[in-house]
Amino acid sequence: MSRKPEEASCRLTIDGREIVVAADTPVIDAAERLGIMIPRFCYHPALGAVGACRMCAVKFLDGPVKGLQMSCMVGARDGMVVSTTNPEAVDFRRQVVEWLMANHPHDCPVCDEGGHCLLQDETISGGHALRRYRGPKRTYRDQDLGPFVAHEMNRCIHCYRCARFYQEVAGGRDYGVLSIARRTYFGRYEGGRLESPFAGNIIDLCPTGTLTDKPSRYRARRWDLERGPSVCLHCSLGCGLTVGARYREVMKLEARLNPEVNGHFICDRGRYGFGYESRPDRPRQPRVDGRETIAGAALAALAEGLKPFEAGKVAMVGGTRSNLETLAALLGLCRDQGWRPPVFFRDARLAGAAESAAAALSGDLVASLADVGRADVILVVCADPLAEAPMLALSLRRAARRGAAVLVLDHRPCDLPCEAERLTFAPQELAGCLSRLAHAALRGRKEAAAYLSSLPLPPDLLPETALALDTWGKRLAEARFPLVVCGTDQAEPTLPALAGGLARLLAGSHDQDRRAGFLPLLPGPNGLAAALAGGGDLEALLADIEDGRATALLVVESDLLSRTPEPERWLAALRKLKLLAVCDHLPSPLLEAAHVVLPSRTVFEAGGHFVNQEGRLQRAMPVFSPGLPMGRTLREGHPPRLFMSCAPGSEPRPAADWLKDLAGLLGAGGRAGDWADLAAAFPGLPGLAAGPAPENGRRCLPETAPGADAPSVAKTGSPDVPPDHLQVLLVERTFGTEELSCRAPLLAASAPEPWVDLAAADAGKAGLAHGAWLLVPLPGGPLRARLRVHQDMAPGLLLLPRDPRLLWQRLAGTGVLVELLRLHAITAEEEPAGEDTTLEAEP
Amino acid sequence: MSLWLAGLALLLVKIGLVLFVVLTGAAYLVLAERKLLARFQLRLGPNRAGPLGIWQPLADALKLLMKEDTVPAGADRPLFLAAPAMSAATAMLIFAVVPFGDSLTIAGRPVPLVVADVSVGLLFVLALSSIGVYGVVLGGWASNSSFSLLGAIRGGAQMISYELPLALSLAPVVMLAGSFSLVDIVSAQAGCPFIVKQPAAFLIFCVSALAESKRLPFDLPEAENELMAGYHTEYSGMRFGLYFVGEYVNMIALGCLVAVFFLGGWRGPLLPPFVWLMLKAALVPLVLIWVRATLPRLRFDQLMHSSWKVLTPLALANILVTGGLMAALG
Amino acid sequence: MLPEMVKLRRKGEELLEDGLGLLRPFATTLGMLFTRPITVQYPEEKRVLPARSRGRIILTRSPDGDERCVACFLCSAACPVSCISMEAATREDGRRYASWFRINFGRCIFCGLCEEACPTLAIQLTPDYEFSKATIMELVYEKPALLVDHGGKDPDYDFYRHAGVTEKGEKGSHVNEQEPVDVKRLLP
Repeated sequence: MSRKPEEASCRLTIDGREIVVAADTPVIDAAERLGIMIPRFCYHPALGAVGACRMCAVKFLDGPVKGLQMSCMVGARDGMVVSTTNPEAVDFRRQVVEWLMANHPHDCPVCDEGGHCLLQDETISGGHALRRYRGPKRTYRDQDLGPFVAHEMNRCIHCYRCARFYQEVAGGRDYGVLSIARRTYFGRYEGGRLESPFAGNIIDLCPTGTLTDKPSRYRARRWDLERGPSVCLHCSLGCGLTVGARYREVMKLEARLNPEVNGHFICDRGRYGFGYESRPDRPRQPRVDGRETIAGAALAALAEGLKPFEAGKVAMVGGTRSNLETLAALLGLCRDQGWRPPVFFRDARLAGAAESAAAALSGDLVASLADVGRADVILVVCADPLAEAPMLALSLRRAARRGAAVLVLDHRPCDLPCEAERLTFAPQELAGCLSRLAHAALRGRKEAAAYLSSLPLPPDLLPETALALDTWGKRLAEARFPLVVCGTDQAEPTLPALAGGLARLLAGSHDQDRRAGFLPLLPGPNGLAAALAGGGDLEALLADIEDGRATALLVVESDLLSRTPEPERWLAALRKLKLLAVCDHLPSPLLEAAHVVLPSRTVFEAGGHFVNQEGRLQRAMPVFSPGLPMGRTLREGHPPRLFMSCAPGSEPRPAADWLKDLAGLLGAGGRAGDWADLAAAFPGLPGLAAGPAPENGRRCLPETAPGADAPSVAKTGSPDVPPDHLQVLLVERTFGTEELSCRAPLLAASAPEPWVDLAAADAGKAGLAHGAWLLVPLPGGPLRARLRVHQDMAPGLLLLPRDPRLLWQRLAGTGVLVELLRLHAITAEEEPAGEDTTLEAEP
Repeated sequence: MSLWLAGLALLLVKIGLVLFVVLTGAAYLVLAERKLLARFQLRLGPNRAGPLGIWQPLADALKLLMKEDTVPAGADRPLFLAAPAMSAATAMLIFAVVPFGDSLTIAGRPVPLVVADVSVGLLFVLALSSIGVYGVVLGGWASNSSFSLLGAIRGGAQMISYELPLALSLAPVVMLAGSFSLVDIVSAQAGCPFIVKQPAAFLIFCVSALAESKRLPFDLPEAENELMAGYHTEYSGMRFGLYFVGEYVNMIALGCLVAVFFLGGWRGPLLPPFVWLMLKAALVPLVLIWVRATLPRLRFDQLMHSSWKVLTPLALANILVTGGLMAALG
Repeated sequence: MLPEMVKLRRKGEELLEDGLGLLRPFATTLGMLFTRPITVQYPEEKRVLPARSRGRIILTRSPDGDERCVACFLCSAACPVSCISMEAATREDGRRYASWFRINFGRCIFCGLCEEACPTLAIQLTPDYEFSKATIMELVYEKPALLVDHGGKDPDYDFYRHAGVTEKGEKGSHVNEQEPVDVKRLLP
């Protein structure tokens, strides 16, 4: 949103230079805009000022405020004259840093913050180089804060950044300030894992080594890291990351400031979802029929193998985690060779939902994550923010803290870090409920008539539920900036179109100043590009392979065997194929079945462009060159001494390069693969033509979406659930289910034990208690998992996470129903996980 | 016939002896210079090859002989190959006219202790010194290298400039001796060496000879810190060795000439004439080494200045004064 | 005296001074000829270098016998020729250490900046200068070859006695430390 012109601005002088800023901007911020970095510890633009550290003292020479003041606590006013270099201020800051250092331990050599430590920098720049204090130092006992955050309380300078973030921004309750005065302590009441999925941010925020990154503890210094900007691939939000790699291994990921997307923070799934790039079982060598070979030979074998097939029998499967370059190469290959259009989505429902969400998006309607924080009424339909796009939950909390109402319409027990009003319905009822809500919101609007008439009929509702929906509709209609969030993972294909249509009509309801936003959650970091490219779905492809309509299959960065609920059927179908080629960097059973394996590079090595759910084109830079991590090449404890031009295991190439070279071998006539080709591959993203992404990305959606006002809504065929039966739904969790991060060793080792969800009413009927071990009879065999019982969840559902540690693939099909009374708890004697139980050992 | 043959044999024996003495002397002069320079600089000098390093010259010679003889691309090959020989040969040819002693009488026949008693011996010496310039100029020019060419140009200019005072300083000697023959000049100093009668000519000759030998403080053609090695930058192996030999033979030759022209040649009491000559001749190389250890290199303008504006006028004045005195005293 | 005479006399003095200036160096060099050479006959006579001279680099141990190096990367950061490389790791007992540590003496210029940068006095330069090798690969020294079993120039310093971290000794047990704060005490 652009700043309103009437907003008061003021002119102030800092160190002899004038600047005009909005009134009440903290002086420390105004100085930073001039390039003057006033020392600070407690002030942070995302956390605000508390004036705790006294480090940002400056001298106000003239104006409404005079004397030595904390620049973070004073808002800018007209006529202020500020000196940051006044001897009094400099001396004051020198004293502050000296007393902050009085109790600071002498342990920089074994402190991971050393090298990027604000306290180090400001101690030295403040002129305090020699300790004068000779007395005994205060010490604290440290806590174990879980697998991600290391705690060394002696180093703390009490800036309160961690506690302010944890409690205010992230809404966590298990970490904060204890005790008073010189005993002030930052920690938990008792040691233990930090519960918030955003806890990792306190590492970035801590200006000292009190809170440091535990996975990369004692491994590298900041100055030795190969660092580069990147994009998070663990959901469709595309948060900014800074990758730090050392010795051909990612050491840590940090949040990269992207004001319109993630701001200063990222979730722990993004922060610790790396490590799949250095798994020992990662494919690094091209293979043909199981034998390792070199790149050229593998490509030649593939091109030769593809020649006998008639074009219509060759199918391609792409992944939404591939970069835009790969998707463009894939689309180009299919088009030029006349192959079947590439398949990106696992089933028709998801493909339909993603495509309808993509069709509903346009530049004038789409909302960024930052817009979520600005909205005043937010309707979340069929989305579980913490599980599907964790940073969305943080934005919802920001909005809620500013007074926005968060209205959640979903079937799952969505856990949000903020106050939210909730209504739960079965997934097939959501469209109908949205219809009732839309009728209430758009009542009497002529331009909405076509939309309203296309809506499905609302289901039979309890009076109070119907009233609540009507109230929600009115509040959306009256809101200054209403925003609709819609998930696609669980949604019926028409639901995103309905939600988008509602948002569009809300935007146009009053005067021109008013705006509304629509934010769909799409599957995968490049879900929007894949949805715009269209194509079929994997279920249909499976049927075609079984019928012999497709006999050659190329799978590019898509792990269909471990993501499908029907692995046995797929395995049987794959055996019918005459040619199976796989290009991926993740280990999977698919690689064993493949005739040709082409190892691709991860985003850390290949970089590439990604388009997030708001159509924002963002670029990840290649950070390091592929190769075996140094630690895996050691001989007799130290690295090899032979000098080679390439690192061992550096065979992987970007998937886009494999595909372009394959196209060349197949005689596509040397497509250059330049940016113009890429832009031409995605007509739905006209903004691509302007070139590669700038630093904070660029929106590429068309300004308006033709025909999006009147979505064509087909009646959805929802399963009729017989009484006393449960519909088994596969769901996402914050940790442990997403395609890439479930391969990350850090998260796999530390993700909470997987569980299944059941509504309290159903649990009561079946006599099952919260926390019990449950045996679920599935078509492919029994599944054993812990049960969680929820009050705020639609009845008639059993939520099963796609967690590789659970044998969820015993589901053996979609739309599976389970008889409620056949669920039973198993006794404590059966509890220990044996060989034949459901808890599968992670390789 | 047999007489002629005996004369030829005698000549060959004399040439062989002279060359042996001169070349061995040059080799050991190298060692002496390195040792002395080392001691002047508080070092020890070569002391690894044999006791006190006496086999060092042999080792150096072996090393030079076994090194690759490179000819740079673009060099004028025949000239490049011939130039070092020219430099060494002219230095050695000087010894043809140096008398090593009075005539001996062997088998009733007088045998002069000189390879060739040429009546214009002094002119022969000056001519050889002029031809020596070619060794430098052609070697530098044929190398096809900027450093070499610059060194050669400097060398040519310097040697031609100093030939003039060199020759002029000898004019009074000739006037006093009444002959160009070196044997006669030595004979003319029977009473009193010319250094006493001609101190100015002696000084001018010494300085000019120093410049002719291209040694410090007149080593501009080689000037290591500007021109790598000057005119012989591109030379290697024994061809480089020949330039080296030429330089040191030239030093001994200068010593002999100084002895012959100013110090009375082989004349002296008690010791045999040859030893006297050698002692006197050794004096000059030793002083040259001392000078090298003491004085820094001149600038080129100082070099030219001292030749044309100081030494040449002085030498001319010396001739006039000598002439005048001779006329006055009869 | 007439001014001309003064001028002439000054000229004469200058000439004399110039002449002496030409001759005096000869006396100096001649004097050197009879002075004892300072050359040391190296392989036969070996100079004993002062303890602070900068030769072969070692990794020392603290008084308790544990290696001092904590792999803080300051030496490799300070090294102007990047001849030091290492990988930091955590030992079983939680202590930070270098899992491998390599100095390429073929590249080292013995400037001593690593020693100055070392906060734990682990890396030290010794007076040992005799370690030429026949092949350049032998000049790449690994940690076992660098580690010695003494404390070098400062045998008594122990970083962990001052650091305040719990790797060696509980909180409050190090030099100049108070008892750990009891955060659950209610007294003001």
